[in-house]
Amino acid sequence: MESATLRVYDKLRRCLVSFAGVASFQSIAVRALVLAQAEVPNLCAAQVTVEGALQGLGNVEGQTSMDKNLVGSQQTGEDPPGEAGAILIACILGLLLTFLGEALTLSLLRNAWPAATFDDRNSGNGRKA
Amino acid sequence: MTAEDKVIINKLPTGVPGLDEIVGGGLPEFSFNIIAGAPGSGKTTLAHQFVFANATPERPALYFTVLGESAIKMLRYQQQYTFFDPSLLPVSIRFINLSQVVLEKDLGAVLEEITKEVTKSNPAVVVVDSFRTMVRKPLDGMDLQAFIQRLALFLASWQATTFLIGEYAEEELRDNPIFTVADGLFWLRQTTERNSIVRKLQIIKLRGQASVPGLHTFRITNAGLQAFSRTFGLTADRRNALGLKRLSFGIPEMDKMLDGGVREGDSVLVAGSSGTGKSVLATQFIAEGIRQGESGIVAVFEERPQAYAERAATLGLDLEKPQSKGKLEILYLRPLDLSVDETMHSILSAVQKIGAKRLVIDSLVGFEMALSPGFRADFRESLYRMIFALTGIGVTILSTVEVDESFIEFPFSTYSISFLTDDIIRLRYVSIDGQLRKVMTVIKMRGGNHAKDIREYEITSQGVVLLDTRLTAYQGLIGGLPVHTGRSSRQEDTVLDLGVERDS
Repeated sequence: MESATLRVYDKLRRCLVSFAGVASFQSIAVRALVLAQAEVPNLCAAQVTVEGALQGLGNVEGQTSMDKNLVGSQQTGEDPPGEAGAILIACILGLLLTFLGEALTLSLLRNAWPAATFDDRNSGNGRKA
Repeated sequence: MTAEDKVIINKLPTGVPGLDEIVGGGLPEFSFNIIAGAPGSGKTTLAHQFVFANATPERPALYFTVLGESAIKMLRYQQQYTFFDPSLLPVSIRFINLSQVVLEKDLGAVLEEITKEVTKSNPAVVVVDSFRTMVRKPLDGMDLQAFIQRLALFLASWQATTFLIGEYAEEELRDNPIFTVADGLFWLRQTTERNSIVRKLQIIKLRGQASVPGLHTFRITNAGLQAFSRTFGLTADRRNALGLKRLSFGIPEMDKMLDGGVREGDSVLVAGSSGTGKSVLATQFIAEGIRQGESGIVAVFEERPQAYAERAATLGLDLEKPQSKGKLEILYLRPLDLSVDETMHSILSAVQKIGAKRLVIDSLVGFEMALSPGFRADFRESLYRMIFALTGIGVTILSTVEVDESFIEFPFSTYSISFLTDDIIRLRYVSIDGQLRKVMTVIKMRGGNHAKDIREYEITSQGVVLLDTRLTAYQGLIGGLPVHTGRSSRQEDTVLDLGVERDS
C-alpha cells in the first residue's frame, strides 16, 4: 500500500511539474532530500529519479517501523513511522517558502489540495509550514 | 461602410503606466503580439504587467514557460514588483511549464499541449516565454511558419490576446516570418550611453489602431515598467487657442516693456550670465501668478525646493504657504540619467494635479545636466516637443538659461533654441563709470509689441527693480562696454519706447 508521504509527494510533484517543469521540481526534491537526510540518516536509502519520482522511501519507513517494533521509538529516540517522509515534505515546503514566499506557496498548496484548510498562523518561517 | 458597421475592437489595459497612450488607448483584444528585445530589457516584466492587469478567474491568463528562466525563479523576482498580486495565482494566472515537451518532442507536440491547456482554461491572455527557445531547437516535424500560423489562428479563434516573448536581434526584423504573422510588435532596447543605461521601446507595428510612432523611453522601477510617450500624452488636436490674457511679472515697468505682460501660453526665455537675476525674475513671475490666483510649478535642478523657497523669502515672497495650499509645487528634478520624457511626465503630472497656469524651468542648463548623456544630444529637439506640448494646453513657460558673458557678442542662449521661444528677455552686465551694472532688454516678443529700450535694473530686497530711465547717454550697451556719448545721462521725457516693433 502506498504511504501517505508518497501520496503527498506525488501530488506536490504533479502540481509543481505542471507549474515549473520536471527539472525544476527534480532539483528542489534532490535538495530537500539532502536536507532531510541530515535529520533522518535512514533517508540515504531514498533517491529522486531524473523524472522527479521518489524511490526507496518504503524501505526507509519500513526500516524505521521495524526498529520501532524491536526497540520502541521512544526509547531509541528514533523517528516514528512516517516521520522521515514528513520531514522530507517539510523540507520541500521550506524550500518553496524560501524561493517563492508564503503567499505563493500557500496558493500552490491550495491548488493541489482545494478541500484542505491551511492554517496560516504557523507558516511564517521556513519549516513551520 | 459606416462607422456603425465596423467591428469594434476592444482595447485592453496594458498595465504599464504610459503605454496605453502610446499604443493608441490600449492593446487590441484578441491580437497576437510579440515582445522582442535583448536579455534584461524588461520583456517578461512587461508581459507580467499585462497579465496581472487583465486576468480574472473567469477568463484567466495562461503563462507558458519554456526553456528560459524557471517559473520558480521568475516568480521569486517578479513578486518584488508592486503590481504582482499573489492572490491571483493559480486561479486567475496559471503558469505552465513546457520545457519537457520542447526538449523531447517537436513543435507539433508543443502546439498540441498549448491547445489542450487553452481549451481547458478558456483564457483571455496567453503568454509564451520565451518563444525564442522553441524556435532555436532544430526543427523536425512541423515547420516554424506552419506552427506560428496555426498557433496565431487557434489563439485568435479562442478569443485570447497573446504575447510571444523572444530575444531577437534587430537584424532579424527583416525576414523573420514570425514578425509577419504578428499583429503587434513591441521592441525593447537598452543601450549604454557613457555611464548610464537608456531604455527605449518602440511599437514597430500594431494592427487595427494608430500607435504613437518613434522611440519612447521607459524606466523599470519597483512598480515595473513605466513608459513615457514622446508626445507626453498631448497631441496637436488638444492645443488651446492662444490666450489674449497678459500675465504680469509683478514688476510694473517690466510689464510695460512687454506690452502689458507675457501673453498667456507663451514660452519665455530669460537669458543672462551668473548673478544677473534670472532666478529672481522667475520667482517673481511665479509669485505674481499665485497672487493673482494662478497656480504654478517651479522645476528646479540646481538647488533644493527648501532652499529655493528660502531664497524667495528673502525677497519678501512667500512660497511656503502656496505650497501647503496646493497652489504651488516646487519640483526637484536633479537625479541623473533622466530622459526629457520622464522630466516632462513629472512636470505634466504636477501641472494637471494643481491646474498650473505658469511654469518656471530654472534652469535649462541644470535640466540638461540632469539628463542621461544619451539624451543630451537630443536636448534641443526634446525642448521643442516639451514646449509645444505644454504651451499647447495653455501653460505659460518661463525658462532661464545661463549664457557666457561676452563683451564682443550678445548670445541669447547656448542651445540655439531662441526660435523655440515666443519671447526672449536678455539680462547682462555693462561696465559704466567704474561699476558693473545690469541692463535688460526684450529681444523678441512673438505676436506682440515690446519696448526696444535697454533698461538698467537692480536686484534689491524687493527683487528686480527697474530704474527710471533708459541709458541714453551711452552707445554700445549690448556689447557690455558702452561709450559715453556726451548726451544727458538721464532723458526725462522718453522712458519707454513702445509699440514700434512687432515680431511675427
